[in-house]
Amino acid sequence: MEFLNFALIFTTGFLVLRRPEKESLAFRLLLLSAALTAFLFFVGSRGSVLPPFNY
Amino acid sequence: MRNESLYRLLAVLLLAVSIAPIGVAAWWLGFVHGESPCVLCWQQRTAMALVGLVCAFILRFGPRPRYIGLGLLIAAHGLYMGVRHSALHWVRDVGQGFAGLFFGAHTYTWSAFIFWVFVVAIALLLLAMRDGAATAEPRDPGPLGRLAIGVFLFAIAGNVIQAFASTGPPPYMGQSDPVRFSFDPATWVWSLEEWEPSPVSLRGRYDVEKPSLAGLEADPARGPLRDLPRLAPKSRTQIAAALDGAPADLAWEGSTGRFLVTTDRHQVAILDASLARVLNQVRVDPGFSVSLGDGLPGVAWLDPTTVAALGENKSYVVLAENEGADRAKNWRFFLAGGERFEERSRGRFATVRARMNYVGALAFDAAGRSLYTVTVPSRRYKKLVVSRFDRRDMTLSEEFLPALGAGLALAAEGRALDEYFVTGIAVEAGRLHALSAAFSTLLEIDLATHEVVAAHALDGVTRPTGLALRDGEWLVLGEDGTVTTFAR
Repeated sequence: MEFLNFALIFTTGFLVLRRPEKESLAFRLLLLSAALTAFLFFVGSRGSVLPPFNY
Repeated sequence: MRNESLYRLLAVLLLAVSIAPIGVAAWWLGFVHGESPCVLCWQQRTAMALVGLVCAFILRFGPRPRYIGLGLLIAAHGLYMGVRHSALHWVRDVGQGFAGLFFGAHTYTWSAFIFWVFVVAIALLLLAMRDGAATAEPRDPGPLGRLAIGVFLFAIAGNVIQAFASTGPPPYMGQSDPVRFSFDPATWVWSLEEWEPSPVSLRGRYDVEKPSLAGLEADPARGPLRDLPRLAPKSRTQIAAALDGAPADLAWEGSTGRFLVTTDRHQVAILDASLARVLNQVRVDPGFSVSLGDGLPGVAWLDPTTVAALGENKSYVVLAENEGADRAKNWRFFLAGGERFEERSRGRFATVRARMNYVGALAFDAAGRSLYTVTVPSRRYKKLVVSRFDRRDMTLSEEFLPALGAGLALAAEGRALDEYFVTGIAVEAGRLHALSAAFSTLLEIDLATHEVVAAHALDGVTRPTGLALRDGEWLVLGEDGTVTTFAR
């Protein structure tokens, strides 16, 4: 999944640099990548969503 | 400041984030040193890349509110991720951690700082920016901006390669315990373990339920030790003195012939030898400023006029009798009483083995100038740990897991002393007497050998809450205020 996410980021960066007319698509890809990052972090940390400190 | 200057600063920021964390992580730490991120590290690194990407958007399209807003949102999540992940290691001993160091700090600890820098940088840029900076059309990022975005893409390309080798194509994803990076496909580990079902918890390993006697098995025959000798009660007395709350623990002071009792409403009361009259009492404020927990399950005499009471969270208060106590001065410490008691100190016992367990009892050994606590098991942590603290500085001196002594045997394979739920302890002549509410059993632990040298099944008690020693007798306190005497 990390490979997919970095591939998305690379594609988005390429659009920003080389295809600025596709700004809207690039922004949607950015949103998708941000959401994927948050989701994957949740998957990896769901055993303790909050930092494992004394509460 | 002119907006073009701000764009140059933003390009420098993008260059910095591309080179230092994102590029170095893959091209140097990964490909040269074999560093491989764990599943959480990957997301932190990805979020740093996203922050860089937001910078690229602003360089190309201007500072549109949605880019700035999304950038701050990603940085906020990055801060959370950095703290959440680093917290796994922040409390370890010096130098411990996971994987490589960067300027003396483990790589994962840097991310919170980097996201904080990004938030500060964006705030400063916004402060310095002139009105009308947002553009409707894409702008030329200029040579420095193009260079920054180009370096960013180069850094990302390295991460694409590393991510493919280390984590594989979807649906494979990063691992909690990754192996070092290699370009040899034979060594690649592509894992689905993070997708396996597991419960969602907010507090994780710190989600430990408070001790409760409800539901504990009272029958000694069902306990972890087999063939225990049974002890029949010698006599039974009811605490006739009016207490504020249910009795929680009991201690006996021989030289003055007085009992000490605590309750689940944080009352500390000194009773006469007949348990009929309150001689002195106070109800401590459990909230200020060291939280004493939900009750006071442990109490001990430190000398004939000084007592210590313990909360289930190993926080304690030391009180001394004082006929001339200033009630107004004591108001801040006590909810009731305080005319003849003063608070000497309040603090928290820090433990190692017992760290994740609550405790249910306190004892003082005058000969060894030590206080003792014993843990109670929880669903997550089933451990019986005896902790000893030096009276002089109330600091941990020793911890041990009691072992089974000669002549005692477990009832079956898989049973353990950890099943006992100790609610009362007392020390005498080098032995710790520990009363378990679960299985109504009394253990005698040799403090020199750390072995359980004797155990007794108690008849006629159900879920006892406290234990005192008096002249060759065990006095067992029940939650209903009954004190049952057993001959030793």
